Amino acid sequence: MVEQKAQATSLGRGFWIATAVMAVAAVAGAIYWVYAPIESWVPSIILTAHQVDVFFRFLAAVGTAIYVFVVGYIVYFTIVFGAKKTDPPDAIGVQIHDNHKLEFWWTFFPTLLVVIIAIVSYLIWAEIILKPASGVVVEAIGHQFNFTFRYPQINGEVTDEIHLPVNVPVTLNLTSSDVIHSFWVPAMRLKNDTIPGMVTAIKFTPYRTGRYPIICAQFCGTLHSTMNKQVLVVEDEASFNAWYHGMQLKNAHVSNALPSTSGTIALTGGDAAAGQALFSQKCSACHALGPFDQKIVGPGLRGVLHDPKHPTLVDGDPATPENAAKILQQGFTGPMGTMPNATTNGLSDKDIANVVAYLNSLK
Amino acid sequence: MSVAAAHSGGIADHIHPEPQGFVRRYVFSIDHKIIGIQYLITGFVFMMLAGLLAETIRTQLLNASGGFVSPDTYNEVYSVHGSAMVWLVIIPIATGGFGNLVFPLMIGARDVAFPWLNMLSFWIFPVSGLMLFSSFLMGAPAAGWTEYPPVSLQGAPGTTMWCAAIFLVGVSSTLTGINFLVTILKMRAPGMTFTRMPLFVWGQFATAPLLMIATTALAAALAALFMERVFGVPFYDPTKGGSPVLWQHMFWFYSHPAVYIMILPLFGIISEVLPTFSRKPIFGYKLIAFSSMAIALLGFMVWAHHMFTSGLAPFLQVLFMVMTFTIAVPTGVKIFSWIATLWGGKIHYSTAMLFALGFLALFTFGGITGVFLAAVPTDLDLHGTYFVVGHFHYVLVGGSLMGVFAGMYYWFAKMSGRLLNETLGKVHFWLFFVGFNMTFLPMHWLGFMGMPRWVATYDPQFQFWNRFESVGSYIMTLGILCFFINVIYSIRAGKKAGPNPWNARTLEWQIPSPPNYYNFKHIPTVYGLPYDFSQPLPYTGLEDELTDSPPAQLTGAHH
Amino acid sequence: MAIAAIPHDAHGEVDQLYVETRELRLQGFLLFLISDCVLFSSFIFAYLYLRNTGQGWPPPGIARLDVAFAAWNSVVLFGSGATMHYALENWKHGNFMKYMWMLIATIILGAMFLGGQGYEYHHLIFDEKVTWAGSGIFGASFFTLTGMHGFHVFMGVCYLTVLLLQTAAGTYTYQKYFGITAGTLYWHFVDVIWVVLFSIFYLL
Ligand code: HEA
Ligand code: HEA
Ligand code: HEC
Ligand code: CUA
Ligand SMILES: [Cu+2]
Repeated sequence: MVEQKAQATSLGRGFWIATAVMAVAAVAGAIYWVYAPIESWVPSIILTAHQVDVFFRFLAAVGTAIYVFVVGYIVYFTIVFGAKKTDPPDAIGVQIHDNHKLEFWWTFFPTLLVVIIAIVSYLIWAEIILKPASGVVVEAIGHQFNFTFRYPQINGEVTDEIHLPVNVPVTLNLTSSDVIHSFWVPAMRLKNDTIPGMVTAIKFTPYRTGRYPIICAQFCGTLHSTMNKQVLVVEDEASFNAWYHGMQLKNAHVSNALPSTSGTIALTGGDAAAGQALFSQKCSACHALGPFDQKIVGPGLRGVLHDPKHPTLVDGDPATPENAAKILQQGFTGPMGTMPNATTNGLSDKDIANVVAYLNSLK
Repeated sequence: MSVAAAHSGGIADHIHPEPQGFVRRYVFSIDHKIIGIQYLITGFVFMMLAGLLAETIRTQLLNASGGFVSPDTYNEVYSVHGSAMVWLVIIPIATGGFGNLVFPLMIGARDVAFPWLNMLSFWIFPVSGLMLFSSFLMGAPAAGWTEYPPVSLQGAPGTTMWCAAIFLVGVSSTLTGINFLVTILKMRAPGMTFTRMPLFVWGQFATAPLLMIATTALAAALAALFMERVFGVPFYDPTKGGSPVLWQHMFWFYSHPAVYIMILPLFGIISEVLPTFSRKPIFGYKLIAFSSMAIALLGFMVWAHHMFTSGLAPFLQVLFMVMTFTIAVPTGVKIFSWIATLWGGKIHYSTAMLFALGFLALFTFGGITGVFLAAVPTDLDLHGTYFVVGHFHYVLVGGSLMGVFAGMYYWFAKMSGRLLNETLGKVHFWLFFVGFNMTFLPMHWLGFMGMPRWVATYDPQFQFWNRFESVGSYIMTLGILCFFINVIYSIRAGKKAGPNPWNARTLEWQIPSPPNYYNFKHIPTVYGLPYDFSQPLPYTGLEDELTDSPPAQLTGAHH
Repeated sequence: MAIAAIPHDAHGEVDQLYVETRELRLQGFLLFLISDCVLFSSFIFAYLYLRNTGQGWPPPGIARLDVAFAAWNSVVLFGSGATMHYALENWKHGNFMKYMWMLIATIILGAMFLGGQGYEYHHLIFDEKVTWAGSGIFGASFFTLTGMHGFHVFMGVCYLTVLLLQTAAGTYTYQKYFGITAGTLYWHFVDVIWVVLFSIFYLL
């Protein structure tokens, strides 16, 4: 058998030339990523988006450099060490098995790189995640197949658009009324899932005005593809205030003022007829008007507040209008499942008073 | 000989009489080689179907407004495409297929530990495959291969069928894992110590516990989804107190290890093909073997990197991010060792070698984009976008599927006795390589620029690159078509291979192609690693393997 | 005709083939138990996860489980573990009749445990109105896990009964008794799972 003795001892000049070429290519690639016009591909509108871009450049630069070397050596070795027509058929390569020094270094360097990447990503992660909640609070709720947004001081729902003042911190609370969606604004380099039964928050501060698309990034049913019609509007303080007051005025007459999720509700003056209408809209999907045992999702509600067989409600409290209102307000998870709270059911305090009046009328 | 003699009378030297009749030989066979081929054929048939679905995806995405199929159908198509490619193509081919076909030969065994169980594992697989595809008749699952509830709870009846089918194929995987593990632990030929095992065997050895443990966790998740869908037992539905995030934990606790099930056996194939065609020992044998085990172990500790946007507690985000990064180290060690194997070699540009080289280049790319996803700050942007689709097709198609083709061009000779046509093979490689990059490279910037996954229609600004990708995928299809034509042509008219067409040194090449049903006339004794091309073969006891004499046990007075 | 003593092998020596296949089967069986254990662990994880995300445990409206009754039932099951242990020991020492009695005791205790569980289920379902699908995550996790375990006990009782018939028919010999070893391992496994289930459902 004929070994390739010549190369056994030294790497040879070709190797170093090739390495030098790769080094130049790697540096060029890395420099490209440092200056790549990322913001012309997608604008960046929050402070952390800019940091994510810097981090992305770093990863891309490092990744490109590593990749250039990997592919460079594969191509170079494959060409240089190809078997030639003139080689005897049983020619073999250099019979080396390993090289502990080399193996040490190519374990050590990736480890070092991993440590560096971990530290950098931790720092940026902390910027994105570990912010205190402050500033404007907005609530985003995912539905099949749109998002709705709510502001604490505006009555009613504000569909389709979020308006935000520039340079003011925002806390966005996310939840869903049906399945999991994901609230993604590419210009913020940020997304988070909206999960039913759970509220998660993202916090950020926009620094650039304009209108930016909001996209659903989690499969959520037939029309997931179309769940990208909403817009995030960042505007200067004056326009924001104008919009905000406009919305307040526009919705002033809307009866369903936002629910409070704590505190007692005044039940006096509840309108049972209005309550009945609301009940068939919002409750009858889960509750029958039959006896307790006639269960759909929740128990049947005939005589909930007057049934001697059930002196207490499912949460163990006495069956009084006040306690029923509490369940409607705060929701309750019991053996049968979860009774959604007022936010999810979209009930204002007034609505609750009406529905309770209606429940109280069921004998 | 004395070592082997000490074992006479045990299972090592036990030869069952050859089964008679077509059904016993080729249908309900208990011979690991036949079962391996059955797995391969079935897997490739499912690959055609799942590939047809992939082309349906790409055809739909030719236009920003879709129009080829309805959005509902589109969702069904990619859900079944992903499920089938993972569970019916790559996993069965890499473990049941190549595993069965090759590794018992490589360790000098007559069969796997439990041949009947092996047959059972196989037959579950086509049945569950048919179940999965038949779900199209009743409304296929449409919430992706990950079937996240609550949306999967709303899914069509086929979703229930999906649960059952994947559960079954999981049972098959688990049984295979147990079978392989016992075989490797207990049935190596005398002298075949752990540090003398070929690296393909190491690949299977690292995969088997994943098959056994992770797949069982998936079975639990699927059973719960099944119970919830059929009997209304609340696990995942938040309106009944369940948690949709629970499913994600259970699913990814399986499915992250599963991606290593889909790559470790293929790492093994690369580790065999590279030294054989470089005529050089594998560089850094121990580190390659050890890193497979490290990857398998670490693979169990990173699952939540798929859930960075799912309301994970902040400290868990950091923990899973850092754990995920660490996997780059053992994987990198492998890549570097393989490249060093090329250095100073006498490289033969066979098709198998081309696929192995392609594997190195493309898998590394996918691995590096994996690091982008592992970092929480970038994943919060990239999750759920085409960047992810780009990442995993680089590792799965550029990695796993390339590895499968490398293995086919390498071992086809062993299983059929004939060589695949090399010219057609090279056409296959180049069409596939070029088409692949055209299809999946642009996905990375599409994702970054704002194109989400799972969409049947998209923003018209992305139309140019989507069309470019679709054209690429058609080129790739032509490549794969060449492969299927090659197989059909070569089975009948390919060049006769002889026992060892590649001058390879592992045990399977020292016996006839295809091997006799009993594999070895005598169980050989092993004295060293199979990668020293300058040394004589490190085996004894193989002297009359290539002669016509029947094995002693069949002529002698064996019971 | 049933036999009354442990049969010896013809040559007094066990052949190599049997020793090796027994080793394979033992290892395969242990690995099977490990993956079965993973199945239970996954459901246990699910239960603990749900329990932690829910609001309070046990959820209001659900009667507390009857710990005392379940404790007695557990004693029955652990007793059967002891008898199974002695069954195997007696086999190894060649005490055929003692082995038979111990095995029968195990089967009876196992069946008693199942009876106890049936009683508990009946009480929960009909008196307390706690059901599998209708009582939220409590019913789901309780009935799924204990039901899975009960199913394992049931399979065990069936297997041990087969074992009883097989020994009576002389299937196993003084040296070849893998079936009995496997049965014992399985039975202990089922016991250990119950320790965990009992702790997390009744004590935690
Ligand atoms: C190993 C796994 C594997 C493989 C090999 C592939 C192969 C391919 N995949 Fe797939 N893919 C996945 C695993 C895989 N994929 C997964 C897990 C998902 C996620 C699903 C989800 O989100 O739920 C996915 C999703 C996915 C998407 C995203 C869908 C979406 O999110 O909307 C796309 C889009 O382009 C795509 C394309 C392709 C293409 C073009 C190929 C090509 O490489 C295919 C090439 C193969 C062929 C073309 C077969 C050739 C057949 C013939 C030549 C014979 C002709 C047939 C007959 C005569 C019957 N895949
Ligand atoms: C064969 C399959 C396979 C393999 C091997 C991998 C390997 C890796 N994957 Fe991938 N992955 C998938 C298949 C696979 N993946 C699939 C199918 C999905 C999508 C599922 C779905 O949602 O449908 C996915 C999704 C996925 C995600 C979730 C993305 C999201 O949805 O938000 C993440 C995040 O961490 C990730 C990371 C990684 C990492 C870090 C590796 C690492 O193992 C890679 C390690 C390799 C290298 C890094 C290259 C070689 C190393 C060097 C050259 C050394 C030097 C390098 C450095 C120091 C950086 N993958
Ligand atoms: C998504 C399903 C769902 C909807 C919608 C719903 N509920 Fe409920 N409700 C439940 C469940 C489940 C319970 C029982 C909780 C438990 O104990 O497990 C419940 C319990 C109750 C109870 C306590 C019953 C008792 O006997 O103690 C009252 C009162 C009630 N709901 C009123 C309403 C009203 C009024 C509405 C509409 C505004 C409504 N619910 C909407 C699911 C729902
Ligand atoms: Cu909502 Cu996708
Ligand atoms: Cu993963």
